[in-house]
Amino acid sequence: MIAPKRILTEEMVARIEALAPRYPNRRALTLPAIHIVNAELRHVPLEAVAEIAGVLGLAPAEVQDTLTFYQFFHQEKPHGKVRAFVCRSVSCALRGGDQLLEQLCHKNGIEPYGTTPDGELTIEPAECLGACDFAPCILANDDLLKNMTPETAEAALRQPRAKAT
Amino acid sequence: MQPFKPVLLEAVGVPDGNTLASYKSRGGYAPLEQTLAGRQSADVVEMVKSSGLRGRGGAGFSTGLKWTFLPKDHPGPIYLCVNADESEPGTFNNRILMEDDPHQVIEGIILSSFATRASTAYIYLRYEYPTAWHRLQAAIDEAYAAGYLGKNIRGSGFSLDIYLHRGAAAYICGEETGLIESLEGKRAWPRIKPPFPAIEGLFRKPTVVNNIETMACVAQIARRGVDWFKSIGVPADPNNPRDPGSYGPKLYCLSGHVEKPGCYEAPLGITARELIDHFGGGVWRGRRAKAVIPGGISMGLMTESELDTPLDFAGPGRVGCLGLGTAAVVVIDDQTSIVDFLHNSCRFFAHESCGQCTPCREGTSWSLRMLERIKAGKGRLKDLDLLAEIGNTMGMMPGSTICGLADGAAWPIKNAIKKFRGEFEDHIKRTNPSGWMVTDPVPALQIVGAH
Amino acid sequence: MPVVIVDGQEIEIGADERLNCIEAARRAGAEIPHYCWHPGLSVVASCRMCLIETGQRDAASGKITMVPKLVPGCQTPVKDGTVIVTKSDLVTSSRARVEEALLIDHPIDCPICDKAGECLLQDYHFQHGQAERRADLHPFTSRKRDVGPTVTLFVDRCIMCTRCVRFTREVAGTAELMVTSRGAKEEIDVFPGFPLDNKLSGNVVDVCPVGALGDKDFLYQQRVWFLKREANVCGGCSAGCSIYTEHNQDTVYRLKPRENPQVNAWWICDEGRYGWHHLHDPARLVEAGRRRPAERGRPTEYEPVEWADLVVRLRDDLTRAGRLAVAVSPMLTVEEAWMLCAVARSIDPQAYLAVGHLPTTDSDETFPGGFTIRAEKCPNRRGVEAVVALFDPAVHGWSDLLAHVGGGNADAAWITAGYPTSGRGPWIDTETAATFANLSCLVVQDMFDTPLSQLASWRLPAAGFAERAGTWVNVAHRAQAFEQAIRPPAGVWPEGRLFWNMLGRRGLYDPSAVRRQLAESASLAALAGEIPAHGVDLRIHQLA
Repeated sequence: MIAPKRILTEEMVARIEALAPRYPNRRALTLPAIHIVNAELRHVPLEAVAEIAGVLGLAPAEVQDTLTFYQFFHQEKPHGKVRAFVCRSVSCALRGGDQLLEQLCHKNGIEPYGTTPDGELTIEPAECLGACDFAPCILANDDLLKNMTPETAEAALRQPRAKAT
Repeated sequence: MQPFKPVLLEAVGVPDGNTLASYKSRGGYAPLEQTLAGRQSADVVEMVKSSGLRGRGGAGFSTGLKWTFLPKDHPGPIYLCVNADESEPGTFNNRILMEDDPHQVIEGIILSSFATRASTAYIYLRYEYPTAWHRLQAAIDEAYAAGYLGKNIRGSGFSLDIYLHRGAAAYICGEETGLIESLEGKRAWPRIKPPFPAIEGLFRKPTVVNNIETMACVAQIARRGVDWFKSIGVPADPNNPRDPGSYGPKLYCLSGHVEKPGCYEAPLGITARELIDHFGGGVWRGRRAKAVIPGGISMGLMTESELDTPLDFAGPGRVGCLGLGTAAVVVIDDQTSIVDFLHNSCRFFAHESCGQCTPCREGTSWSLRMLERIKAGKGRLKDLDLLAEIGNTMGMMPGSTICGLADGAAWPIKNAIKKFRGEFEDHIKRTNPSGWMVTDPVPALQIVGAH
Repeated sequence: MPVVIVDGQEIEIGADERLNCIEAARRAGAEIPHYCWHPGLSVVASCRMCLIETGQRDAASGKITMVPKLVPGCQTPVKDGTVIVTKSDLVTSSRARVEEALLIDHPIDCPICDKAGECLLQDYHFQHGQAERRADLHPFTSRKRDVGPTVTLFVDRCIMCTRCVRFTREVAGTAELMVTSRGAKEEIDVFPGFPLDNKLSGNVVDVCPVGALGDKDFLYQQRVWFLKREANVCGGCSAGCSIYTEHNQDTVYRLKPRENPQVNAWWICDEGRYGWHHLHDPARLVEAGRRRPAERGRPTEYEPVEWADLVVRLRDDLTRAGRLAVAVSPMLTVEEAWMLCAVARSIDPQAYLAVGHLPTTDSDETFPGGFTIRAEKCPNRRGVEAVVALFDPAVHGWSDLLAHVGGGNADAAWITAGYPTSGRGPWIDTETAATFANLSCLVVQDMFDTPLSQLASWRLPAAGFAERAGTWVNVAHRAQAFEQAIRPPAGVWPEGRLFWNMLGRRGLYDPSAVRRQLAESASLAALAGEIPAHGVDLRIHQLA
């Protein structure tokens, strides 16, 4: 059942409501609202989905339907403080993207989409990051890591990094 | 080759080139001021129409003509959606435009909104471009502060708001009605057409969806003129009244097995070989090209012997590719297995298929599973026939699907099997000596984390 | 009149009709297969099973220009000159491929799946599919997911037509069902804690073309090919939704909505859908009985009476008793109501006739798609009122009857009831029943024991809705006729048969004969002749 404790803070709700004048209806706030919660919590638990639905006047199933479509939002627990998307599309794959993902996961002892036990790092495959000029590349929070090798990537991912926007 | 002085990319490498001040120092926003001061919306539509500008997002439809599909005298609101979802593998030109010259894009958006009488422009920006997000927002804020956005811009009576709307890593949001559904807060299942967005689009109002690079072109056409634009590229074939020509400069993305991957601006119509050799430093490591993607992975493959095909809107189609697409050229060298390439393509499309219509949802999934099996050494010759059949029957063009993702998924399959069948057959026979000839169904592989 | 050409055959359609190709082709006898299209839901054209070839015939030259690719029939409107081709190689192979695609991961559960025998996937496979599997072989998963109190989801059988999701969003307005994930991994689900529990939930099982959605009430109860069905009308409320009663060997197994554009479109509510269990409730009264005089220390007993004897003995008792009051139940058909009034007046020409108790809940409930559940939980108030009016323009009601009997103005009463059990308890309480305690002859005709039947001199079993033939008139004055589906238990005579015999009529009870007689009155003139499948509005004939 849905926990009675509020997950969405006043601040989050205020930021959602601040976007309302941009759109002619509440439903269009769905993805922006999900992003606002995700940016703070690094995941969007089911309780938050139900609260977002309440704020927007939608059924929880409608919000969850939209959310799960993107195959992007973690829901069960937060992803790592650094979320590393390793590109596996054609241009990066031609320059070692698949091997980069495999070796990075192996070095960190996790499966793709997994998070290290210390909660610091999540490694996920991504489709074309639009940085084929720097293939193979990784998007780590807001930072594009260019021309990566397994060694340079491992070092780069351990650098302190601002949280994702 | 004549060197081409970048226009769309003129701000690249310029310190603080993304600021309003820098843009104005290069002549920016003067065209907007002049337009708002003395021209009508219809004038701008006519300007873009006569320039021969064709959309840069992949479909290549005449931009000015698309604008005329909007209903006349509609009470509004009319919306402009700017497609910044750039997710076609191999493509990154929009990223560079947004990061390095956001004001060029914004001026184009304001001019286009003025032309179409849109009151709100949403830039649907893919999640994976955080730098572009920050730079665009900063530029939008500068534009509001300078009075180029908001109510009654420069006293013209024209008002416009531009809002950034962030995506969440789904390729199908680059399809215009998938984008619209996503913006409306729903799953991004493209809509059936008719009705077309110009009649019933975002929030069921008349809507135009245009690409980022197209917007930049509009700004440059307004600044440098229709004649300038038409002096670049490939003129329309005078013997073919239906050929709209391929005018203007184009941003070509070059990546894969080349020495110098990058985004290069050139007149429409340069060939793949010219792009690779003159801009890209040639195929890397002294190797030869086995296959080249002409315009993003959806367009299929050209063989090495087809590299002299001009990369304009008509060229790639003549060698059996889907079209120019995003003009993102990806080079595959002769030491790369074509099986690996096709597996990568099938994996991408199976992951990105929105799932609403049967042939694409099941066809992309089935083709991936066959490629997984072929890669694992359990392929059959019959699989090539099945893949060719899927390639030939799934898509908007045969009419079997709602949107063009399926055509994009089909073309690499069709081209790869047709143009590289020998390599597939060799691979299959070599890796599955005991089973390549089996025609009855075989057990599936255990798929571990396929997508 | 616009002409549409279907497989070379010309058919005319109405000038104002808006048809898609599926509807138009059907008129020509060509059934275009489809999963996701439903006339009551938005068009999504996603299953791609209805792909056909279309074209246009030029009105002047007669030249036909075909569209060079397949188009979905469901999203293509027809106009004058539309050409539809449903049988070409292109269409045939497209359908075969859609079938193949849907069967790649579909568990072949037919032997354990409720839908077998009425499954579109099965039917289209045989009609349009290919004979052999070409996709890899793998073990199938067939997961069950509880999505609500009335419906079970067999997740892997789903073909993603999204009819169920669209139903909950567009018709019920409750949006409990959702699609999750993307691509070939998509599944139907509900949000945890928000189950599918709206009052129209059972309709999603009807719209599901395959066995993905199972009705918990019907699951594993009966194979559909054993079921026979009768066109019937729901007796749950005054909406009078058209239904089919599906039964075998005098047992009802389920009710399904019957399409009626004038009443319920394609839907029925859950209370109506599942409102048949009372027919087989062991607590039903099944024996006609005459109360024996009470003996000291012994509980009241009823002496069973043969129905044939009842015809005479009941009349004698009532005649002997004196002043008669009758409650004409709104559960009775129009024909039964008329015969009851006629019988009553033949026993006592001054018999006080009243419309029986009207069970009512708080208020009507209208759903966003337009469907309305009525607060009045009986099917034939309008019909009974119209009949009683023929005998007594005052048209007394139940409270009038209570006052009449309570005021000592009657010596005998015949209370017809026949209300099904509901979660709402007996339809009459002890206090109200006491109004009838001192009558010398009290006849109670009902399905279940109540405080009133405990007091009855004559306790007669009533028939249920599926056990009678006749006509009901709904809240919107629409008269609908229906056939009898099952026989009542244990030789119970439905009211119609009893009243017919008490009127001295010969042969088997024939509701249409009674209707013809009724139709001689102006207010019921619409009942003359065959009543069409969608019923007839009683007010129409009043205008003439």
